[in-house]
Amino acid sequence: MSDSKTPAAADVAARLAALREQYSRRLSDDLQTLMAQARELSTRQTGVDVESMQTLRQGLHRIAGSAGTFGYPALSRDAREMELWVQTVIEEATQPTPAMLTALFDRLEDCYRQLEVGATPAVSEPGGSYDLASGERAIRVAIMADGDTETLMQALGGFGYDCRTLSAADAWADSAPDVIIVDTAKIAESAWKPAVASVPQATLIMLSASGDFETRLKAVRDGARGFFTHPIDVPSLEHRLRYLVNLPQQDPYRVLIVDDDVDLAEHFRLILKGAGIESRVIDEPRHVLQGLRDFVPDLVLIDINMPGCSGPELARIIRFDDDWLRIPLVYLSAESDTHRQAQALAQAGDDFLVKPISDIALVTAVTARAQRSRQLSLALARDGLTGLIKHPAIKELIEIEMSRSQRSHSEACVVMIDIDRFKSINDTYGHGTGDYVIRLLANLLRQRLRRVDHVGRYGGEEFVAVLPGCSLENAREAIERIRVSFSQLECVAAEQTFNVTFSAGIASTTGWADAELLLEAADRAMYEAKQGGRNQVRLAKPEA
Amino acid sequence: MKPLQRILHVEDDVSIQEVARVALEIVGGFEVSSCDNGQAALSQAAEWQPDLILLDVMMPGIDGPTTLAKLREQASTQAIPVVFMTAKVQPSEIEHYRAIGGLDVVIKPFDPMTLAEQLREIWERSDVG
Repeated sequence: MSDSKTPAAADVAARLAALREQYSRRLSDDLQTLMAQARELSTRQTGVDVESMQTLRQGLHRIAGSAGTFGYPALSRDAREMELWVQTVIEEATQPTPAMLTALFDRLEDCYRQLEVGATPAVSEPGGSYDLASGERAIRVAIMADGDTETLMQALGGFGYDCRTLSAADAWADSAPDVIIVDTAKIAESAWKPAVASVPQATLIMLSASGDFETRLKAVRDGARGFFTHPIDVPSLEHRLRYLVNLPQQDPYRVLIVDDDVDLAEHFRLILKGAGIESRVIDEPRHVLQGLRDFVPDLVLIDINMPGCSGPELARIIRFDDDWLRIPLVYLSAESDTHRQAQALAQAGDDFLVKPISDIALVTAVTARAQRSRQLSLALARDGLTGLIKHPAIKELIEIEMSRSQRSHSEACVVMIDIDRFKSINDTYGHGTGDYVIRLLANLLRQRLRRVDHVGRYGGEEFVAVLPGCSLENAREAIERIRVSFSQLECVAAEQTFNVTFSAGIASTTGWADAELLLEAADRAMYEAKQGGRNQVRLAKPEA
Repeated sequence: MKPLQRILHVEDDVSIQEVARVALEIVGGFEVSSCDNGQAALSQAAEWQPDLILLDVMMPGIDGPTTLAKLREQASTQAIPVVFMTAKVQPSEIEHYRAIGGLDVVIKPFDPMTLAEQLREIWERSDVG
């Protein structure tokens, strides 16, 4: 039998990841096409024909059947529900009203937005016990406000939360709410306290009429993790909800596990995987620097007793390098002597986890530290004006994508973009307008590129984009579309309207040996575009 | 029992085709051939003689059930077992695909890590092998 060969798991994962990237790009296009179809049908004067409905159905069916495989289970379910609706309309030969079609459009748009905001594709993990992090289902929110819950429920429902009033929460049967929102302005303490106590695992958010210190302190003592005063600012509330349930990160957290006990390390890896955290195991301390460079973790877990090199020694080696100063180093060991723990921490390292450790304790400790680490590096790496990634960080990303594409034999592209005649914009309209143009292009790039793409501000009016899993030709098409849109945008300053253009150069990872050469190639192509008359996109030709 | 080796995958969605190829070739170690419509499936099945055909239900042109009926009409493909793949709409439909001669039904979306195993189980459970 030919199935005896065991596939290299990494190989499979890399291929699947590449396919997933391709797929998410297509998914975004497909949703836009469906939105356009639904929009067009809703405005038709002549009534809707069956063929058009069939086309819609096919499109929805395709997403329903494929999105789940690529890690978008919620989208798959949404598409299936919409498909069923369209099917019913077709079968019953009814004429859908414009309002129904608009509702369909809205729902598609919701899906599209969620995709763009980047709910991380969750690799489905059968039996995984941390539903929240895997994004498998909607977050369940119970609201206690003595009947006056409609507005809030509607508002949060719009963000995709599954909202109920707590008295109706029994309908959740086997699954308690993840979050309870108590409006203390509307419901008495004697009523909400026992209800909240009955679901101890749920996160508590309090709404209150008063925002004074005493009230806040009381909320803290009652176990609240969020506190808002009336009138409720729904976006902030939603933001806090997201933060509390630790929902969409751009990418799963990454943890490097250094442990010579391969079985134990693998066990930890699986637990973390169940919580949506990616990890890589290194069983040989001397490979740790390579692992850090390849994997760029948010946190490193280090076994304290390893042959050849102890955990604290390894931690100090890692700390030699400025690049890894910000990464939390957490020891993992059977060491329960607090004095020796303190000694280990005094050398280097940030925390100590004692084995045996429960799954939940491990996940909690790792998540909290990884989150801080991620926030910190994001804050350090973002450009203040545009919110885009700064120069050094984007260069790092190019290196990561370069080695990733070499490993997985996939293609990635680097795009260098420079605003044309930027100096004359500054000179004519002032620096404020210059900044405005930069922000305009930054927003356009962020909007138009895929979630998986990285966009950075490289210099004054220069931008770099990294497009993983993307061929040179596809990159050209995408950037070309953005070029046309940008050139058509009307900028207004000092009561004058003007247009701005950019020139771009693109190079593919397949043509160049390392990140430095790749970036130079994109840069050269960009200069060719400038010399060719600006407002155009050029591709870098690989050396023979 | 003859081991399952060659699988013909018929699926109009190229993304799914590719991910299934990874799932069946690399994870499962099968020989895989794919095509994107029912008509091509008829000729490819006759020529390549797969052990099993994994057939998408809803395809433009000839759909899955019609393709199955046509496979049963031509002598060279009459006996090749067919497993349907479908985005489940209703349980009764799944029953229906079994009733019309599908060996079994694989539900979409599928998990690429377990698809091969699922097919192997279906193969071993049935008496065609």
